[in-house]
Amino acid sequence: MSCPRYRPFRYHLCQRAGVLSLGLFLVAWELIPHLSEQTAYFVAPPSTVLRTFWELARTGELLQHVSISFARAIGGLVLAAFVGVPLGVLLGGWFPLFERAVNPVLRLLGEINPFSLFPLFMIFFGIGETSKCAMIFWVSLWPILFNTMTGVRGVDPAYVKTARSMGAGLGTLLLRVVLPGASPLILNGLKIGAGTSFFMLIAAEMIGASAGLGWLVWNAQITYQIPKLFAATVAISVLGLLLNGFFTLIERRALSWRDAG
Amino acid sequence: MGNGTNQGQLRRKLFAWNDRLLDYYGLALFLVLWQAAPSLGLVDRAFVPPPSTILSAALGLARGGDLLQHVGASLARVLVGFIVAVVTAVPLGFVLAGGAPPVARFLRPLFMLFSQVNAFSLFPIFILFFGIGESAKLAVIFWSSLWPVLFMTLAGVRGVDRALLKTARSMNAPRATVFLKVTLPASAPAVFTGIRMGGSIAFLMLIAAEMVGASQGLGWLIHNSQVNNIIPRVFAAALIIALLGVCLNFLLRCLEAHVVSWKPESLGGIHELPAL
Repeated sequence: MSCPRYRPFRYHLCQRAGVLSLGLFLVAWELIPHLSEQTAYFVAPPSTVLRTFWELARTGELLQHVSISFARAIGGLVLAAFVGVPLGVLLGGWFPLFERAVNPVLRLLGEINPFSLFPLFMIFFGIGETSKCAMIFWVSLWPILFNTMTGVRGVDPAYVKTARSMGAGLGTLLLRVVLPGASPLILNGLKIGAGTSFFMLIAAEMIGASAGLGWLVWNAQITYQIPKLFAATVAISVLGLLLNGFFTLIERRALSWRDAG
Repeated sequence: MGNGTNQGQLRRKLFAWNDRLLDYYGLALFLVLWQAAPSLGLVDRAFVPPPSTILSAALGLARGGDLLQHVGASLARVLVGFIVAVVTAVPLGFVLAGGAPPVARFLRPLFMLFSQVNAFSLFPIFILFFGIGESAKLAVIFWSSLWPVLFMTLAGVRGVDRALLKTARSMNAPRATVFLKVTLPASAPAVFTGIRMGGSIAFLMLIAAEMVGASQGLGWLIHNSQVNNIIPRVFAAALIIALLGVCLNFLLRCLEAHVVSWKPESLGGIHELPAL
């Protein structure tokens, strides 16, 4: 029979400290509206926010907005991955001179502030779904492309030469050497791209949409429904946190060989 | 014989020039194509004005003095918000990670949650608190650039080599010396990465904040040009914003290279957020 290992009280405190800080924050937040008339007007306490959240979830409204937002984000992101990764592999691995020539253009394009492109995207694609998807595609393309290029360039040439000297074809080389070698950076690019795309999605939906989480925030603001505003903000934050956690998990799963080696 | 070496020299010189110019070929070709496409009827001139039209629009803005005013207003906003964020986050990070690691661990989930709060969805709340004036915009910039700086500072201090700290302590160095001679230099690269990330996010949010509600600034210029359907001016403003962003990034990089001169070579893109 194994006896439970003794741990000092401080250890348990430290383990749970993080949750405790969230709890304390919630308590403080709950108290803020009671401070004065004015703050009560502006700040919805977490209990009210939770009730509003539950209400939104129960009526199915929340699910609808979340799924619309996610569909947009995933559509743009998948498209960006399908363009960015192959392009990055080509530029980084096969055409180094061409890559040097186009790199400044790509950097400049990547440097352009996406918000300043909003009007242009609206001019080109209208105010419908296309312009939002194009926006998300644009912002998530650059991190994916640049990270893939850096990753492919960073693959040890000795591996490539070894594989070639053993008569590996192009496909084998690509699938067995180049892509695994570049995968840490490709995944990193996807993670950054996903984060940025989610961020921009909310912005795009706040500027022009009729559904989605960003629209929910915007609508709550102009109709002055403060609890709904806070509930939507919390929902967006939690979703962002989950998205980040999801990609970190994938990274750890997919790259488990890296630590073992 | 002499002719041959001359030719060789010439060829080598040409190759060297070619190599040096290679970085600009793409840019030049891009500009030429852009200039030619509307004239050839490949794209609609009204939607994609050629660079010459954009340049003349930018010059027109610059001549009237409008441009300087907008750039000044935008730069003032971004600098105030960003500098306040850096001045808050860096000392806070050092105090938390260096002085009280348990407190840092205690607050970590809270910080994680805060940093995930989309600055955009906070915008209405900031407007409720601070009104639609300058302070709401500054608050958005402050909030969004605070977190990367704070996180990178925390990570940098936590990543300082234990052996270095122990060595310094075992040589009886006082706390101040350990901080100034070991912790500070060792964490500087991470801190600067955070500052650069914060800078690009600050600039991103600035334009967004100005587009939503402002009466001057580059974001307003874009918004106003769009509403009035002055397309060349939209392009001109977008390009000026991009150039300013590049300049800001470059300045921060110079500062970094100056301060962290002992670091052999930067790690490259791994830890960096892409330039937005």
